[in-house]
Amino acid sequence: MTDGLLDRSTCANLADTALRKARLAAVDYADIRIGTNQSELLFAREDKLKAVNTATETGVGVRVLVNGSWGFAGSNMVSDTEIGRLVDAAVATARATAVIQKRPIAIEDLPSYQAEWAMPVGVEPFSVPTDVKADHLLAINDAAMKAGADYCAATFQFVREQKFFASTRGSEICQTRVRSYPFFRATAVDRDTGRFVTRDSLAAARGAGWDYVERCDLVDEASRAGAEVREKLHAKPVEPGAYDVVIDPTNLFLTIHETIGHSTELDRALGWEADFAGTSFLTPDKLDTLQFGAPMMTVIGERSQDEGLASVAYDDDGVRTAGREFPVIENGVFKNYQMAMGQAQLIGRDGSNGCAYCASPADFPIQRMPNISLQPNPEACSLDDLIGGVERGIYINGAGSWSIDQQRDNFQFSGQLFYEIRNGKLGPMLRDVAYQGRTVPFWNSLDGLGDRSTYFLGGTFTCGKGQPMQPAPVSHGAVPGRFRGVTILNTERKA
Amino acid sequence: MLLSREEVERITSRRLAASRADGCIVHVSGSDKVNLRFARNSATSNGARSAVGVTITSQFGQRSGSATVNGLDEDALDAAQRRSEEIARKAPPDPEQMPPPSPQSYASNAAYDTDTAQLETARLAEAAQTAIAAAEAGGVDAAGYAEAGGRFRAVANSAGLFAYERDSIADFTVTARRKDGSWSGWAGGSEHRFDALDPEQIARDAVAKAAHDATPLDLEPGKYTVLLEPSAAGELLRYLMWALDARAVDEGRSWLSSAAGQSKIGQQLLDPSVTITSDPADPLAPSPTFDREGLPHQATVWVEDGVVKTLACSRYWAQRTGRDARPAPAALTMAGGWTSLQDMIRATARGILVTRVWYTNMLDPQSLLLTGLTRDGNFLIENGEIVGPVRNFRFNESLLSMLSNIEAIGPSERIHGGDLHGAPVAVPALLVNNFTFSSRSAGI
Repeated sequence: MTDGLLDRSTCANLADTALRKARLAAVDYADIRIGTNQSELLFAREDKLKAVNTATETGVGVRVLVNGSWGFAGSNMVSDTEIGRLVDAAVATARATAVIQKRPIAIEDLPSYQAEWAMPVGVEPFSVPTDVKADHLLAINDAAMKAGADYCAATFQFVREQKFFASTRGSEICQTRVRSYPFFRATAVDRDTGRFVTRDSLAAARGAGWDYVERCDLVDEASRAGAEVREKLHAKPVEPGAYDVVIDPTNLFLTIHETIGHSTELDRALGWEADFAGTSFLTPDKLDTLQFGAPMMTVIGERSQDEGLASVAYDDDGVRTAGREFPVIENGVFKNYQMAMGQAQLIGRDGSNGCAYCASPADFPIQRMPNISLQPNPEACSLDDLIGGVERGIYINGAGSWSIDQQRDNFQFSGQLFYEIRNGKLGPMLRDVAYQGRTVPFWNSLDGLGDRSTYFLGGTFTCGKGQPMQPAPVSHGAVPGRFRGVTILNTERKA
Repeated sequence: MLLSREEVERITSRRLAASRADGCIVHVSGSDKVNLRFARNSATSNGARSAVGVTITSQFGQRSGSATVNGLDEDALDAAQRRSEEIARKAPPDPEQMPPPSPQSYASNAAYDTDTAQLETARLAEAAQTAIAAAEAGGVDAAGYAEAGGRFRAVANSAGLFAYERDSIADFTVTARRKDGSWSGWAGGSEHRFDALDPEQIARDAVAKAAHDATPLDLEPGKYTVLLEPSAAGELLRYLMWALDARAVDEGRSWLSSAAGQSKIGQQLLDPSVTITSDPADPLAPSPTFDREGLPHQATVWVEDGVVKTLACSRYWAQRTGRDARPAPAALTMAGGWTSLQDMIRATARGILVTRVWYTNMLDPQSLLLTGLTRDGNFLIENGEIVGPVRNFRFNESLLSMLSNIEAIGPSERIHGGDLHGAPVAVPALLVNNFTFSSRSAGI
C-alpha cells in the first residue's frame, strides 16, 4: 500500500509476527487482514452544503481454526502489541466455542499467492478538491429546483478500501479498491392538496473514481428529474391488476440482487444465516435441475467486471477470483451457488468460488456476493423492441421501495418512474406502482431481453448481511426485461 | 476500547486546545464486544472486537468540515484535525450552520454493567449451549446469535460543552427450525445486563414455536385481526419515530403535513390508547442522555392518547420558527396496557398471532404505508385458542390504520430488534383489527 496509513512491508511484518504466534499456539490454520478504509461523504440540501465528512479507519483481524472451531478477534488499533493480543483472543475464542462445535469446521486446501492488485481508477476521488465536489453537488440541486422540484438533497460518497491478507498457507496479498456513489433525491410538494412525491437519481454506485461521477452528468439528470417529479405529483394513479411489464435495468438490477443474488448464497442454503438474513428456497437438490427462469436467462457471478463494486483479484479468504467467472443460472437452469472457504465440500463441490468478504479487516469474513449480472440477449433487441411487444402494460424505471421474504421468494418492488404502455407505445406517467411476485414464476415469465447496447451496470453500496451486520458493495449488470402477467399494486393509501 | 470520562477529557482537551478554527467539536466513541453465532445446532462464526474512533469537526464562520480516525495516535489525530480545518476552509458556507452549543446538563445513565461490558466468549457459548440443548430435546435445529459488551461515546466543543456516557449491551436470539425446514420459531431479548437475559426461556420459546407437527395452514390473504407480539409491533413503530421532524412537517413533506400548508399536529390521528415517550430514566428502555451535538435527551411525550404532541426540531429550525430545539427520539417506549397475551388470545374469535416481521420498508410516506413479511411464528387463533401454524404473509398496511385499529394492549416490554440506531425500545403486544395481508409468502 503506497497511499494509506500502512505500507506493505509494515503489514507483512505485522502479519508475520501474528502468524508465527498463531503457529506456536498450534492452530490448524490462521489468517490476518490489515487495512484502511478511507471514506468521504458530502451532503447538500438545496443551495447549502450541509456536511463534508472524511474518515480514515484502520483495522486488523486475526482468524484461527483450532480443532474445528473458528476464533476471531478484530481491532481498530494496528500495532504489534495489539495484534499479539488479538491472536491470544482469537485462540481463546476458538477454544471457548469448542463446547458447541457439534460439526467441526473443515476448510479445503487452497493455493497460496504473493500478489498485489489495484482496481483501475481514472481520477482518484480523494484527489479532487472539496470545493469542486461541493460545487458539483450544489449544481445538481440547483438544476432540479430550476426544473420544478421544491427540494433537492444530493450526496457523494467515496471509499478507498485497502486490504492486506496473509495466511499460514503462505499467501501475501495486497489489494486496493475504490468506489463512488453519487445520489440525489428531488421532492415536489402540492401545497393545495398536501401531497408530496420524490424522484431519486438513476445513476449507480460504481467501482470507479471521480471521472465516473462526471460522466454520470447528474446535473442533466437533475434537470429531467425536477420536471419528472413535478409531473409525478399529478400522474395518473395505477389501476391494480395483472400487466405485462418492461423493467428498465435501473430497476431490474435490484430485483436481480434480491431474488437471484441472495437466493444463491450457499451459507443461506446451509442454514447458517437462519437467525437473521434467512435461508433460501434454493436447496442443494435444485442444483442443475431447477428451471429458475426462462431459457433466455443466463446470470454470471464474477469479480472482473469493469467498474464492478465487487471486482477484486482475490477474495477475503485469499482465493483467486480474477478471470474465474461462473454461471449462477445458465439458460434458465440453476447451476452454481456462491461459496466461501469451508462450504463447497458440504454440497460435493470442489472448493470456494471466491465469494468471501469482510466489511472491515476487523470483521469476520463471510460469504458475500460477487458481481452477479444478467447477460444481454445475443440477438439484437432494443428497449423500444421490448415495449413494442406489449399491448397493455407498464414500463418501470429506477429502484424504489423493496422487500423480499427471508427465503427470497415473495418479493415486492416499487420504482421511481412508471409509464403506461398501450399498443406497443409508451403512454402517460403513472404513479403509486409496485410489482409483486414470486421469484421462480417471475423469472419464468420473462419473454424478452435487451441486447448488449442496453446493458447497464447497477449496484448497491451497502448490502447488509451477517451478525453483527456487515455492509458489502456489489454490482449487478442488467438489461431491460419484459415479463408477462405481473401483479401490479397501487401503493397509495388514504390515511 | 472502553475509555473512562477522564481519559476522554484528556483527549478532547488536547484537541480543543490544538484547534485553529472558530469552533471545534470533538466526538470520541468506542466499544469492546464479543459475539458468537451458531446454526443447525453447531457453532459457525464468532468474534471479539475492540474499536475506538475520534471525529473532529472544525468550523470557520459558516463553513465546516469533519475528519474521523480510528485509534488514539497523536500524530494521526493531529493530521485529522488539520484535515478537518482544511476541508472547512474550502467548503461553501452554510447559512444554516449553528455555532457549537453551550454546556448543558444531563440526566444520569444507569445502563452500564461492568460484568456485561467485560463478558467473555465462554459465557456466550454457555447461552448457545442452552439453546442447542433445548433444540435437540425438541427435535429441531437452532440458529442464533449472542453478543455482549460495553461502549462509550462523548462529545466536547469549544463552547465548553462536555458530555460522556457509557452503556453495556447484551443480546440473545434464537431461531428454531424443523429439521425438514417446514416451520420455524423465533425468540430474542436485549438487555443492558447479560444476567437479565434468560437464554433458557428464550430458547424454550423459540423451540416451542417451531416444534409443530401440523402442516401450516394456507389461508387466503385479506384483512385479519392480528396479535402482534412486541418484537413485531416494535419493528413497525420505529417508522413513526423517524417521521417526527418539525422541518419536514413545515415543508409539506411529512405524514403530518396537510393541505394549504397546515399540519395535523394536535389532531386525534391514532387510537386514544397510543402514548409514546422516551426518557433517559425509563426503567425498561432508557434513552441515551444526549444527542450528537451534545443536546440533552429529556423525558419527552411524543404521542399522548393518540395525539402527536411533540416534534424533533434542529437548533437552526427552532431559531427560525421560534420553537425549542429538541433532538430526534433516540429511544421508544409505548405505554403498555393490562391485557396479557393469553387474555388477548382468549378474546380473539379469529385472528393471527405474529411473532416477528421482516424486511419492512416504506411504500407511501404520506400515509406511513409499510410493507414487510411475517416470519418465524405465525399462528391461527380461533375461538380464543391457538389452532396451529399459518403460512407467512406479506402485509401492506398503514401504520396510521394499524394504530387506529387497536383492540387491546399488553404490558410494555423491552424487545430485541426494532431499535433506533442501537437505542432501546419497549413496546407492548398489540391486538389490531383489519390488518391487511396482501399476499402469501412460502418463506419459512
